[in-house]
Amino acid sequence: MSEQSKDVCDPNSAAEASNSEVHSSPGVPGGLSPPASQAATLAGPESPPLGPTDAPLASPPPEAPSEEGDPKALQQAAEEGRAHQALSTAQPGPAPPAPAQLVQKAHELMWYVLVKDQKRMIIWFPDMVKDVIGSYKKWCRSILRRTSLILARVFGLHLRLTSLHTMEFSLVKALEPEELDRVALSNRMPMTGLLLMILSLIYVKGRGARESAVWNVLRILGLRPWKKHSTFGDVRKLITEEFVQQNYLKYQRVPHVEPPEYEFFWGSRASREITKMQIMEFLARVFKKDPQAWPSRYREALEEARALREADPTAHCPRSSVSED
Amino acid sequence: MEEGRAERRRRTEALSHPQGGTRRAGVMTDVHRRFLQLLMTHGVLEEWDVRRLQKHCYRVHDRTGAVEELEDFINNINSVLESLYIEIKKGATEDDGRPVYALVNLATTSVSKMASDFAENELDLFRKALELIIDSDTGFASSTNILNLVDQLKGKKMRKKEAEQVLQKFVQNKWLIEKEGEFTLHSRAILEMEQYIRETYPDAVKICNICHSLLIQGQSCETCGIRMHLPCVAKYFQPSSEPRCPHCNDYWPHEIPEVFDPEKEREAGPSKVSKRSLRSRQH
Repeated sequence: MSEQSKDVCDPNSAAEASNSEVHSSPGVPGGLSPPASQAATLAGPESPPLGPTDAPLASPPPEAPSEEGDPKALQQAAEEGRAHQALSTAQPGPAPPAPAQLVQKAHELMWYVLVKDQKRMIIWFPDMVKDVIGSYKKWCRSILRRTSLILARVFGLHLRLTSLHTMEFSLVKALEPEELDRVALSNRMPMTGLLLMILSLIYVKGRGARESAVWNVLRILGLRPWKKHSTFGDVRKLITEEFVQQNYLKYQRVPHVEPPEYEFFWGSRASREITKMQIMEFLARVFKKDPQAWPSRYREALEEARALREADPTAHCPRSSVSED
Repeated sequence: MEEGRAERRRRTEALSHPQGGTRRAGVMTDVHRRFLQLLMTHGVLEEWDVRRLQKHCYRVHDRTGAVEELEDFINNINSVLESLYIEIKKGATEDDGRPVYALVNLATTSVSKMASDFAENELDLFRKALELIIDSDTGFASSTNILNLVDQLKGKKMRKKEAEQVLQKFVQNKWLIEKEGEFTLHSRAILEMEQYIRETYPDAVKICNICHSLLIQGQSCETCGIRMHLPCVAKYFQPSSEPRCPHCNDYWPHEIPEVFDPEKEREAGPSKVSKRSLRSRQH
């Protein structure tokens, strides 16, 4: 993945490329002029952009066009793709693919990312390269850029590199967060309720929750480790394997205890996606009490909420797949 | 780069001058974006959920705007999705005609959508089950027949016990439906894989005489063999007192199910036992 010099397909620069562009503000209908003029300047030289003698078309990446004017945006994206190609073919290498093929790859990648996200699976950069980009590795930056553009324009989602260390991407909402989403489709995803139950138990305890404690709580829902459930299936497998795989929970052996016992902790994904305030609200709903019935936890939740607001004044909250009940 | 220019022109034209119909290129607002996000999150949704979802999206972003008629709303979005080779597709459950919607990819073969979820041998199990379902007369494949094929699977060797669990995984993920030990395709799978199925099994595939879509479960004329979906039968024969085959005019020998009525559905409440119309074994 790192043989080429300039167009090293590295997730960070690719992500930067996509992030610097995609900073669509929620759609204000109208306003065709900015994208149109940019498309016009880029579209200027109608002659084929390929060839090492080309004048550099490396204008700074244009701002993401506002949401209307789709034909213009597509045109612009096509131009960019070609501009990028011009740079990359300055050095001898394999024949560059037609823009149509890059566009197709961008569409494939868009679908791939959407499906991974739908299944709450991790979007891992090496997987993206292996499963979708394949031999177009060299152009992955422009492919990624186009995909991000489409996702922002059509779905209102940011494809963001959440961790350079693990090379993970995630889809983050670009629209304002809306708690009402949960209300709109409540009871549609029972898994969420189950997960929230466990997470809130851990939270209230303030430390890891022993497996036995978790089962005591789940018994209230009529769930037992040995019984198959009509909705959840194998509950034990779900909470000790699937939720763990999805990084919503951590399942670890309790040290120095015989016979062996295990406990649950919040997973990294839960910490990212679920706020303490959401847990408090969940507890309030379930126990029909005021969240302040857990005073120290409530205080923590308030502090976290304040910290989040300060950290991100533009109010782009992390996309919570959980709030989309 | 003639190709590139022509391609770009074609696409621009396609968006601003759609062939056929007066549909102009749609305009995406945050209402549509949120709708798409949530539809994608849920995979497949029934119509009343979709309407609720639409209203919710309007409430969030455009309280003052009038809620567009669902069909137009979806067509609007689809006109934007067209160039991306994806589409919000509408189908119906084969047993009782409940309308369902899903965001589907028209470009790739849809089995690949499952590819990220399942191992090679699991995917192959699904393909084997799919073949049995398509070849069958009733649209159902028995658990036994599917499990007997585990030895022929590609990839790692799978035991029957394991295969049973994999089949359950398919049910939970809404690819298959199980009824009394037999399996058929979930409406989601039909929506997403129709193209793939028609291309892969062009000889074995069955088509409904009325709506011309893929048919897995349905009723068939005993004389001339044409087939119809149960909801299509319901709609087609609703006005007539003496149902006759649309193709050969012979008396239609099966019980005519009721047309799906969303209003009645809501009144009946959450227990849908009474509304379950006959599963057709009437071939």
